[in-house]
Amino acid sequence: MELAVDAAQSRQLPEFLERFAGRAARMLNAAWGGVAVFRGRETDLYAAGEEEKAISSTLRSWILSSARENRVATGVRRLPPTDEAAQKTSQAALSAVFVPISASDGERLGILCLLTRRKRLDAKEKKLLHALASHAALSLENLRRFSQLEKSKRQWVEDIDAISDYIVVHDRAWKILRTNRSLASHLGVPPVALVGEAMSGLRQIAETGSDLPCPFCRDTQRPREEYVAASAERIFLVSTSRAPGVVEDDTRTIHVLKDITDRREAERRYRELFDSIQEGLFFATPDGRFLDVNDAMVRMLGYASREEMLRADVSPHLYPAPAARERFLQALAERGVLRNYEETLRRKDGALLHTLQNITAVRDAQGRIAQIRGLMLDVTEQKSFQSQLQRERDFNQKILNTTQSMILVLDTAGLISYANRRCYEAGYREDELIGHRLVDWVEPSHRKDFEAALETTANGQQVENLELQVRRSDGSMGHFSISLSPMRDEQSAVNNVVVVMTDITDAVLLQAKLSHSERMATIGRLVSGVAHEVNNPLAAILGFTDLLLENPEVPLSAREDLKIILQETQRTKDIVQDLLSFARQRPVQREPVQVNAVLRQTIKLRSYDFASHGVEVSEEFDEMLAPALGDAQQLQQVFLNILNNAYDAVQEAGRRGRITIRTERGGNSVQVMVTDNGTGIADPQHIFDPFYTTKQPGKGTGLGLSICYGIVRAHGGEIQCWNNADSGGSTFVVRIPIAAELPALAAKEAGR
Amino acid sequence: MTSQAAVEQTAPILLIEDEPSVIAFLKAALERKGYSVVNASSGAEGLKHLAEGRYSGVISDIRMPGAVNGAEVHAWIQKNRPELGSKIILISGDTANSETQALLARSGTPCIEKPFRVHQLMSIVEKTFGKP
Repeated sequence: MELAVDAAQSRQLPEFLERFAGRAARMLNAAWGGVAVFRGRETDLYAAGEEEKAISSTLRSWILSSARENRVATGVRRLPPTDEAAQKTSQAALSAVFVPISASDGERLGILCLLTRRKRLDAKEKKLLHALASHAALSLENLRRFSQLEKSKRQWVEDIDAISDYIVVHDRAWKILRTNRSLASHLGVPPVALVGEAMSGLRQIAETGSDLPCPFCRDTQRPREEYVAASAERIFLVSTSRAPGVVEDDTRTIHVLKDITDRREAERRYRELFDSIQEGLFFATPDGRFLDVNDAMVRMLGYASREEMLRADVSPHLYPAPAARERFLQALAERGVLRNYEETLRRKDGALLHTLQNITAVRDAQGRIAQIRGLMLDVTEQKSFQSQLQRERDFNQKILNTTQSMILVLDTAGLISYANRRCYEAGYREDELIGHRLVDWVEPSHRKDFEAALETTANGQQVENLELQVRRSDGSMGHFSISLSPMRDEQSAVNNVVVVMTDITDAVLLQAKLSHSERMATIGRLVSGVAHEVNNPLAAILGFTDLLLENPEVPLSAREDLKIILQETQRTKDIVQDLLSFARQRPVQREPVQVNAVLRQTIKLRSYDFASHGVEVSEEFDEMLAPALGDAQQLQQVFLNILNNAYDAVQEAGRRGRITIRTERGGNSVQVMVTDNGTGIADPQHIFDPFYTTKQPGKGTGLGLSICYGIVRAHGGEIQCWNNADSGGSTFVVRIPIAAELPALAAKEAGR
Repeated sequence: MTSQAAVEQTAPILLIEDEPSVIAFLKAALERKGYSVVNASSGAEGLKHLAEGRYSGVISDIRMPGAVNGAEVHAWIQKNRPELGSKIILISGDTANSETQALLARSGTPCIEKPFRVHQLMSIVEKTFGKP
């Protein structure tokens, strides 16, 4: 088994195969021996020494193709006859002997080929050839393994050398066993130069700070270590493994140094950014524990330090309402990302913090939220500013909505762009105001005034208390007080006009009534004073006229003149008496008065005149009329005056006179309405003024209705008159307050 | 004594009135009927006359300028000359004044309103002071 040993020792395949082929040839006394070996799709042919060249290329090709045949059994074959070279040479008489070489698993590795003069093989020779082939197979297999091992070992070293991390292996004696190329080139030497050197020589790369001779070892008892070693410039993450060596007690230590300087720098920058940013940054677990927070976040929430926040479970304190946190988690679970999420949190000191947050949920493989990352802004100031703004806005809105004035905003073209609630309460509709010209609501004859005021305001000046007739929502005209103010933009150019409108119709009417009663009171005082002054001379005139008439010495002719003086003085006296009774306003007797009865009596007084002059009087009395509170005699004077007036008016009109007297209840008053078809009143506004008369001179003092006015006012009632719209003539209305409805009093009065 | 009594009987009427034309008329009317008349042109002057002299009656205007009016003259007489208490006639330009009305209603003092006829005046004077 010389061959086997030889095969085992041999490392070189071609050399071994050539030698094997040579020996096999010699052992069988063959002229030529060769081995064809499969290498993938190729087939290599190895032959001993010069014999390889001794065969022709044609023969060589035949051998190779025969070796590739699927079934090659051990045996003798004839050489191909076309081989000229073989015929020429001594090879002509040769035959080929093929012996397959197969691996233990049956895979064909190659073939042994011998050229011999024999025509057949005996059993002994076949056996020998099989033995040779299996030795060759074994050797081939071994050779392959060895070469693969060699190759992978070389590859391994190359791989280690290709790693940029520094790798060094040392023994217990702190001597370097190996380094990779990266480490060696860092030191500027080939890797082999370091083998056997002391580990302490590597101190220049970096060190962990331990006292051990190896700069990268810390705890030699531990099989594995990981720590950071640094030099002035670089930072390394040192991963150390300790493995038992081939020889007992020779533990080898492997250090892998990873340069993490750049990563550290990135981390440092990230941390710096994380800590210096003004927005709060946080990483938290879904159950509310903070994993990391930055300084701004700590400051915002009022904690002493990052550690304090991370240590405690602050979330129960953080959310003033637990429901808010539930809502937050729900929203995050649904959407994964929350942008500009507004949340009110509680600081450590209990103060509320308004925040605006941007949150991202980090999910695990099952889709559950594993971590919450977020950025938080403190918007408390903005929020309080905003809420103050909102409060102011609400306040202003309230003022606008509750004011009793209509407030409108017009653009400079006069179109309405805003109307407050009061406008709509007054019955205007939005679609007839917004976008329409306000001037269209102004009474046509007043539009010029309004346009002028609008222009004045557009030029920057305020217009106040412009009194105009404006159409109301129901179509009626109202008396409005209007103020216009310019509203300016940032450039202080007038861009809008604010119009404040108040319906002062009632106030104007009241004012008119007030001024009327004031006028009457003034006239009253004046009349009273005049009457007093006139009475003195009148007394003298009347007295002396009497004395003269009593004097028998006065001639008859003079006596006639004196009678005229007496008569005119009497008339003057009557005027003064009437004036005084208007001015006097005697205290009113306050008793329940049956107005219908008083009216009937009054009509009776004039019934003769009415009948004789064809004046028709119709009574439309409410027989259930409640008694009025007042003075029956004074009221009779009032009614008589009005009737006289009506009588005179229908007489003057020259047609068949008709006077209608109606009584009814109107609110808390008894209302008496006297309508005639007479001439009407020239100036109803002044008919109650003293000395206002349309009658012929001498027919009345012009004080009758003034006295009526005084009496009715003294009763706390009202007297009005107007010209009838349709039938001509005029109507007087007297309203006297109703007496407390006491049946006993009413019964008593009924008898009057 | 008889002359004294005659003086007593013919004691003059004191006329208190500020209006000269009214004084002239009243004086003429009264003297024509046989009364003697002394006149004062203000309430204060009237009281002075009352304090110093004797009168058969007093005719006084109610409304007069100055410190003393007809009502005060009436009150003074009631207090200081009770014998003249029922011998007063008041003359009024206007009875509307509620104070005047109250006075008239309380005392039953006759009052004559300006302007008035001579016969109206004389009937009240004769009724109150008696014939001259």
